[in-house]
Amino acid sequence: MARESNLTADEGRPGGDRPPIAWVRKIGRAGLAVTRHIGRAGVLFGATLLALLHPRDHIRETFRQAKAIGLDSLPLVLLVATLSGSILAQQSGYQFTDLPLWIVGNAVAAGMLTELAPLLSAIIMAGRVGAGIGAELGTMKVTDQLDALRTLGRDPVGELIMPRVVAGAVMMVPIVILANIAGIWSGWVTGMAMLDMTTHEYVYGVRNYYHSAALIFSLVKGVFFGVTITFIGCYVGLQAEGGAAGVGRTARNTVVAIIVALMVLDVVLAPLYKAVG
Amino acid sequence: MIQIRGLRKSLNEKWVLDGLDLEIHEGMSLVIMGPSGTGKSVLLKHIVGLFDPDEGDVLVEGMSVSKANGRQIREIRSQISYVFQNSALFDSLTAGQNIQLGLTPRECRKHDAHRDPRVIEAVEHVNLDPDVLRLLPAELSGGMQKRVAIARAIVGRQKYVLYDEPTTGLDPVNANVINRLIARLQGEIGATSVIVTHDVESAFYLGDRIVLMFDGRVQAQGTPTELRESSDPIVQEFLHPKLT
Repeated sequence: MARESNLTADEGRPGGDRPPIAWVRKIGRAGLAVTRHIGRAGVLFGATLLALLHPRDHIRETFRQAKAIGLDSLPLVLLVATLSGSILAQQSGYQFTDLPLWIVGNAVAAGMLTELAPLLSAIIMAGRVGAGIGAELGTMKVTDQLDALRTLGRDPVGELIMPRVVAGAVMMVPIVILANIAGIWSGWVTGMAMLDMTTHEYVYGVRNYYHSAALIFSLVKGVFFGVTITFIGCYVGLQAEGGAAGVGRTARNTVVAIIVALMVLDVVLAPLYKAVG
Repeated sequence: MIQIRGLRKSLNEKWVLDGLDLEIHEGMSLVIMGPSGTGKSVLLKHIVGLFDPDEGDVLVEGMSVSKANGRQIREIRSQISYVFQNSALFDSLTAGQNIQLGLTPRECRKHDAHRDPRVIEAVEHVNLDPDVLRLLPAELSGGMQKRVAIARAIVGRQKYVLYDEPTTGLDPVNANVINRLIARLQGEIGATSVIVTHDVESAFYLGDRIVLMFDGRVQAQGTPTELRESSDPIVQEFLHPKLT
């Protein structure tokens, strides 16, 4: 059987390393690893979509996950959305001093609908839900629970992944709607309390910006983010190895992977708004 | 019958199974023993299709495990149940729900897990009170968890039951309880048992036939008496280790 040496050919040579070649090798290996992960994730995502063909077996678990993912995350999401709306109102009030005050309502609505409501909700969900899913599935992997599921003739994708991904996608819609409401409401309260604004001015500003495409964009982003958070949580969880330390690493890797993916997705989705807006 | 033919598997660049041949006949209680790291658990995972072999094959009722498609692997697994070394109970499910997973999804839908007559029968088979059905695994002792895992393995009345180190991690009293339980279930449910252990006492108590694995191969096999009388130095060293 072929054995791979831990030393590269250059590192093993007397006379020292050749850093540029070693770096190229490292970059190459990292590229291969990323490609492998993308391939495996693609296969898993395909299997998740196929599992949607048999929803009846997993409906109870999907509801259970919807509660855990959505309802239990809501207080924290609303708190952060409320604070974000307030910050947006204050900053726009302080910055745009030469503009009419209704611009505050405009800025809060624009900021919440296009970015903050979906993105901040998603970042909170990444920490709360994504890390939780990664750690849960990671623990199941290292304690043989996933193997047990397979030997019992159950499909881990249908039993564990599909319900989480569906619940994540579905629950992000009400979460983003409520985050938008909370942010715009707190912007109004802040404007009234700190910027000497009238309700009429604020509402005028919000209505001046608002159009249904902005709300649809906000919700579409939320759905994409919900799928991203839950699916990456599941995928990284399934890669866990090595006991409690491995599960810890998995939780950390899950959050990092989700946040990077969310930011990339946010950039990719931005032109969509231009197209529909 | 389960036939294992020339099975080879490498893990971490080491041959864990190195050309293993074995036949497991129906109704027998086969014990596989051997030192740690000699591939006993890996062998069980090949039988149930959790590992793909590098070479060789496992045939369950004539069906190749490594070449089976999704439907065939489900059919193979429907005949085999597996008791994991660490029980592998699902933390978020009650004992009753864990046991009910041993039934098909259609059977599961018929009854609530805590009132399902087959679940209650299985839990009584392993000498547990039906009250434990509502408890979570974290609320059970190690011995009780093992018995719930065995109940999950027997509830579906599969033809083959694979036990991976069933007494590992248990105190001697609980280990004896589990050994007696396995022996009794073998008589009551008539399944073919394959028991992996490195405990010589358990092996001789449970096995109709014993296989000693060494370096990924079958070093010796036979009835308990044949093995005791074997002149093979590796067998003798394993059965009577010298404390040097």
